[in-house]
Amino acid sequence: MHSKKRENLTLMLFVTPALIVYIIFKLYPAIAGMFYALTDWNGLNRSYHFVGISNFKEIMADTDYWNSLLFTTKYVVVMLVVANVTALMFAVAIESRAKGRGIFRTLFYMPNMISMIIGGYMWSFIFTKVLYYLADNWGITFLDKSWIGDPKYAFIAIIIVSVWGSAGYLMIIYMAALQGVPEYLKESASLDGANAWHRFWKIIFPMIQPALTICIFWTLNSAFQVFDVIYSLTGGGPGRVTQSVAINIYEEAFSGNIRYGYATAKSSVLFLIILLITIIQLRIMKGKEQEL
Amino acid sequence: MKSVRRLLALGVAVSVIFSMGACAKNETKEQQTQAPVKEVELNVMMSFPQYMDQWETYCKQFEAKMEEKGIKVKVNLEMPSSDQFESVLQARISGDDAPDLYTLHSNNIAAYAKAGNLTDLTNQPLTGKIYENVRKTVTVDGKVLAVPIESQAWGVLYNKDIFEKCGLKAPDTLDELKNVCKVLKEKGYAPFMLAFQEQWVPQLMTALTIGGKVSGENKDWLERMYKDEASYEEIKDIFDPIDVIIQNGTQRPMEEGSEAGSADFANGKAAMYVQGTWAAQTIMTTNPNMNMGVFPLPINNNKDCTLVNLSTSTTLGVYPNSKNLDIALEFANYVLDDKDSSALFKSCSFNPLATVHNYESSPWVADASKYVEQGRSYQDLVLPSAVTDEQGKLLQEYCVGAVKADEIIKKLDETFKESNAFNK
Repeated sequence: MHSKKRENLTLMLFVTPALIVYIIFKLYPAIAGMFYALTDWNGLNRSYHFVGISNFKEIMADTDYWNSLLFTTKYVVVMLVVANVTALMFAVAIESRAKGRGIFRTLFYMPNMISMIIGGYMWSFIFTKVLYYLADNWGITFLDKSWIGDPKYAFIAIIIVSVWGSAGYLMIIYMAALQGVPEYLKESASLDGANAWHRFWKIIFPMIQPALTICIFWTLNSAFQVFDVIYSLTGGGPGRVTQSVAINIYEEAFSGNIRYGYATAKSSVLFLIILLITIIQLRIMKGKEQEL
Repeated sequence: MKSVRRLLALGVAVSVIFSMGACAKNETKEQQTQAPVKEVELNVMMSFPQYMDQWETYCKQFEAKMEEKGIKVKVNLEMPSSDQFESVLQARISGDDAPDLYTLHSNNIAAYAKAGNLTDLTNQPLTGKIYENVRKTVTVDGKVLAVPIESQAWGVLYNKDIFEKCGLKAPDTLDELKNVCKVLKEKGYAPFMLAFQEQWVPQLMTALTIGGKVSGENKDWLERMYKDEASYEEIKDIFDPIDVIIQNGTQRPMEEGSEAGSADFANGKAAMYVQGTWAAQTIMTTNPNMNMGVFPLPINNNKDCTLVNLSTSTTLGVYPNSKNLDIALEFANYVLDDKDSSALFKSCSFNPLATVHNYESSPWVADASKYVEQGRSYQDLVLPSAVTDEQGKLLQEYCVGAVKADEIIKKLDETFKESNAFNK
C-alpha cells in the first residue's frame, strides 16, 4: 500500500510540468471564456457589462451560426468516412508490401508535417492556377470548375485538402494497430481456408477496433473545429457558404461589431455539442472493442 | 534496488524542474543587464506589406536621425497582410501587447479613440502641415487623432490605350457605360476585371455606388440610416451598375485575388477595373508602360451621381500607453518630415496630402484630381464596419448567384440596425 502511494507520487511528479502548462494555457482560458460568454465585452474596451444569458438567447435566432453548424456537420460526416477509409486503405496497402514500406509511409505522412494554413495556400494555388492551366492548355476540361467560387465544388476542394492533410496521421495509428494483430491468428485463419477478404473483415478489422476508436474520436474532434483549411482556401466564402463554426466564431470576435462576449458564447455552445457527441461516440465504440 | 532506482528518478525529475526554473531566471537577469539605458525599441505595425521596402528604408532613416540626437532607437516593423491586420491588431491591444504605433482605417478612428487607444496629436508639429480637406478625415471632435498616410481620389481604373483603340471615352452616365461595354466586347476585349476572392474587393462596388447615389440624390440617407429611419430600398438602383459590372466581367472572379487581378489588368486582360489608385504600385510594376486613367463610376443617368470618391484610408495612430511615447511621437512627426517625407510618399505612389509634399503626381492621380477640381467628388461615407464586411460577403454571394438583390437589401438593413444598437 505504502509503495503504491509512492509510485503514484512519482508518476504525478512526472506529469506535473505538462499539467501546469495545460492548466495555464488550456484549462484556465477555457473556464475564463465561459465567464466572458455572459458579458458584452468587445475585446477593445477595458470595461464590460454582465448580461446574463442574453448572448445564448441570441444564438438561438442566429441563422448564420446554425448554417455554419450545418455546414460543419456535413463536413464532419464526410471527413469521418473519407479520411478514415483513405487512411485505412493506405495502411493496409503499405503493410501488405514486402519492400519500400518506409518510403511510402514517409510520403503519405509528409503532408501532416506541413501546417494546414500553408497547405491550404498551396492548394489554393493549385485550384486557382494549376488546374486552370491544365484545363486551358492541355484540354483536360473537367478541371475547369469554379473550385473556390461554386459552393458545391468549394466543398469538394476543402475535403480534398483536409484528407490530404490528415490521412497520413490516421494511417500511422492504423499501421501500428495492424502490426499488433498476432501473426498466428491470420495464419490459422488461412489454414482454415479464409481468403484475404475474409481475413481482413473477420480477423484484422475486429482486432484494430481500438485504433478505429481513436481515429474516429480524433477526426470527429478536429473536424468539428476545422478552421485553417477553410480559412486559407476559401475564407468561408463566397460570402458565408463555406463558413465553418470556427470561422463564424472568429469573424464574430475579430470583425464586424467585434463581439468577444458573444463569440465566446458561441464557442461554449460548440464545446457542449462536441462534448456530447464525443461521449456518445466513445460509449458506442468502447463496447465494440475486442479484447484478446 | 527498485526503490533506489525510483528515488533516483524522482531526484532527476525534481532537479530538472528546478534547473529549468533557474535557467529562466538567469536569462531575464542577463537581458536586464545587457540593455543600455538609452536604447529604445519601437514597435510599429502597418497594414500594407506591398510597401515593406519603402517603409523599412524610412525606419532606418529614422533610426539614423535619432542616433544623431543621441538616442539609440531600434524600430521593429511588422506588416501582417491587410486581410488579417485588424484581427492581429485587436488581439494585441486587448492582450496588453499593443504596438507603439499602428495603422488603422480612418473610418475606425472614432471607435479606437473611444476605447482610449489613440493619442491626441492636435498640438504636434505635423498637424499644421496636413492639407485642410485631408485633416478633416482624421479629425474627431475637433482633435487630430492620426497621421493620414493614404489619401486618394478614386473610382474606376481604365486602360487608356484600349479605350483609344476602340474610340471610346470615359463614360458619364450608366447608358454610356453600357455602350462602352458593348463596344469593348465587339472589339474582343473583356470590359471589367473581376477579382472577388477577397471580400474587400467586391465591397468597393458598394462603396462607389452608394457614395455616388447618396451624394448626388439622397443626401440625408446615411444620417437617417444611423437613426434607423431609412432603408437600402431607397438606393436600390445601385444594383444597376453592379449588374453591368458583373455581367461584363472576366471569368472565374472567385479564383482571382486582388493582386492577381491588378497584374492581369496591367497586362490588358480587361479594359476596366473597379479598384482604387492604391493598386497602382502593383499595376505599374507589372507593366511600367501601362497608360492608366481614372473615371467615376456612373450609377444611373443622372450625371450628378457620377462622382469620384475622396477618402483617407490608411492612417497612423500612436498608442497612448506606449512605454516610449515621446519616441513614438517623434516617429509620427517624422512621417511628415520636411525633408524626407516627400521621397517616401513618392516612392509608395501615395498622393500628396501635406504642405511638405512637393513631388509631381502620377497621371492617374492627376486624372482623378481633375474631377475633384470640378466639384465632382464626395467625401467617403463612413459606414459601420460590420455593414462594410457584410456588403463584401453578400456581393460575393450575389456574384455566384447564391443571393438575390432583395435579400441583400433586407440583410443589410438588419445589419445596419444591429450595429446601431451596439454603438449606442
